[in-house]
Amino acid sequence: MAGVDEDEVAQIVVDTSFDAAGTPIVSVSGELDSSNAASLEAAVAPLAAAHAARLVFDLSALRFMDSAGIAVLLGVAAKVQTVQLREPSDAVRRVIELTGLTGVLPIES
Amino acid sequence: MAGAAFLLGMAVTAAFALTSLALYHHNESHLLRLRARQVGSVLTAAVPAIQTTLASAAALADATGGDAEKFRAFMAPYAGPGRQFASASLWPVKASKPAPTVVVGAAPVLASLPRQARALFARARHSRLLNTTGILGSARPSVGFAFSTPGGEHRFAVYAENPLPKDRRSALAGNSAFSDLNYALFLGRSRNPKNLLVTSLHRFPIEGRQASTVVPFGASAFTLVVTPRGPLGGTFFADLPWIIVIVGALISLAAAAMTDRLARRRQHAEQLTGVLDRVAAENHQLYTEQRGIAQTLQHALLPDALPEIDGLRVGARYLPAASGIDVGGDWYDVVAIDDRRALLVLGDVSGHGLHAATTMALLRHATLAYAAEERHPAAVLTKLSDFVNSGSHDYFATMLCALIDADARRVTIASAGHMAPLLIEGDDSRYLDLDANVPIGVERVLDYEETTVSVAPGSTLVAFTDGLVERRGEVLDAGLARLRSAATGKQLTRDDLLATLTRDVATDDHQDDTAIVVIQWQA
Repeated sequence: MAGVDEDEVAQIVVDTSFDAAGTPIVSVSGELDSSNAASLEAAVAPLAAAHAARLVFDLSALRFMDSAGIAVLLGVAAKVQTVQLREPSDAVRRVIELTGLTGVLPIES
Repeated sequence: MAGAAFLLGMAVTAAFALTSLALYHHNESHLLRLRARQVGSVLTAAVPAIQTTLASAAALADATGGDAEKFRAFMAPYAGPGRQFASASLWPVKASKPAPTVVVGAAPVLASLPRQARALFARARHSRLLNTTGILGSARPSVGFAFSTPGGEHRFAVYAENPLPKDRRSALAGNSAFSDLNYALFLGRSRNPKNLLVTSLHRFPIEGRQASTVVPFGASAFTLVVTPRGPLGGTFFADLPWIIVIVGALISLAAAAMTDRLARRRQHAEQLTGVLDRVAAENHQLYTEQRGIAQTLQHALLPDALPEIDGLRVGARYLPAASGIDVGGDWYDVVAIDDRRALLVLGDVSGHGLHAATTMALLRHATLAYAAEERHPAAVLTKLSDFVNSGSHDYFATMLCALIDADARRVTIASAGHMAPLLIEGDDSRYLDLDANVPIGVERVLDYEETTVSVAPGSTLVAFTDGLVERRGEVLDAGLARLRSAATGKQLTRDDLLATLTRDVATDDHQDDTAIVVIQWQA
């Protein structure tokens, strides 16, 4: 039973909007890890296919992200010309930096 | 349980029913006594109507010296067929042989019974009240009433007679106030069957519930016995015990059924609990087995043994996540290049599960293949990047690749998005300053960069995957600082260091797999 109880699913909320230029802004809040990365992937897949020029991940409310989350961002980055991260928390920003991905997943200036 | 509930219900029902029955009987007996008294009162009330008529006629006879015409005229409305008396007659009381002088209506039966007549009139003469006699042994059984004005100068008695009904049987009219009763009326103060005057009953002796009362009737008396024809208190009260029994039985049955249902539900719930417990136990067993399989696979993908290289002590630990059945994507390899040098590879494939594990296995073997032809860690990573990005895929891997030189006390290291190792030198330590190039699998990198660092004798290099330092709710730097603090200033040997890191840094609930490799140069 212990394994079942502890195998908790972290919660994320994905909210998509579009700015004036029509750029999709994907807001991800909560904790993004291997237990829910697939749901983010499913949410952004149609956006990545339809809006190939630019996509922004608003990570201001994302408290945690592991390699599974990074993999999703990288998957979008492979399809979209420009992917930018908006206001990542220090925790998320350091993961991006330490993984050597600041070039692939640039932080919006 | 159901049986007990039914029996309990029936016991309560029986108690109620018996109480109700006792109350019913008590009540019915009481009612019957009241009814007997009522009937008696009605009988007693008939006395004045008889006595007044006879007394008036007696007074007239005394006043007229027994004038036949006057007597006949007076009694004509009272005697005859359909009238109050069947027969009325005037008798001189002092005659030696009693016989009526005037008769109105039918001839009195008493006229054929001189002894009884003499006794009757003797009583009448000394009584101020109506006297009654029964002529019961006769072929024409009758009841007679006699009245004689008291006093020595009066010489006449008036006698009236009515025949008794056939077989003495007479039911009360259906609309009578007493139609709910059967009765038997005896002359005298006892219920001697020989003195039975009239009854509605067909059988004697009278059985069942009955009440009897002695009814004064002038100078005489009747004994009245009544029995109920049905429940006097109404059928509801008569039926009440049965109603209680039936309702009680139904309630008991319902209670039993409900108890049975509750018992079944409980049994069902217990069974369900048992099943759930069993499923939980099976799940736990399955989980343990799968976790065991995952760990077995993981270990199968990790090197069996680490190389023995003079001047180096190499150690490694693989810590599976505290829970979960997924195989992690962490791996490490330390391979001897020659007798003085070793290649350290440490990697972490994103994600978990068999996919990550097989990717890890692929990268591991590819890396070892490239390491066989390249001595430069950066070149190994570049070739690997080229190989991985030649096809489409949905993973990435962070990797460290380091060439360890035991004699030269030197390390040349390249990173593909992996956290830099900790270098412990004496009481000091630092994370190596590396260019964090992109992970393998993100994009083709043609120029991974490597850094060469010289180390002091006795230095220790700690390479690790993020499971060791990554915690929710904190920045990675906090975990890195914790690791550094735990590893520094204690001059720990390889094995003590691994034990410390395993104990202090990898918490019980670490959620990610962790690989740690420790390289210690000889002092």
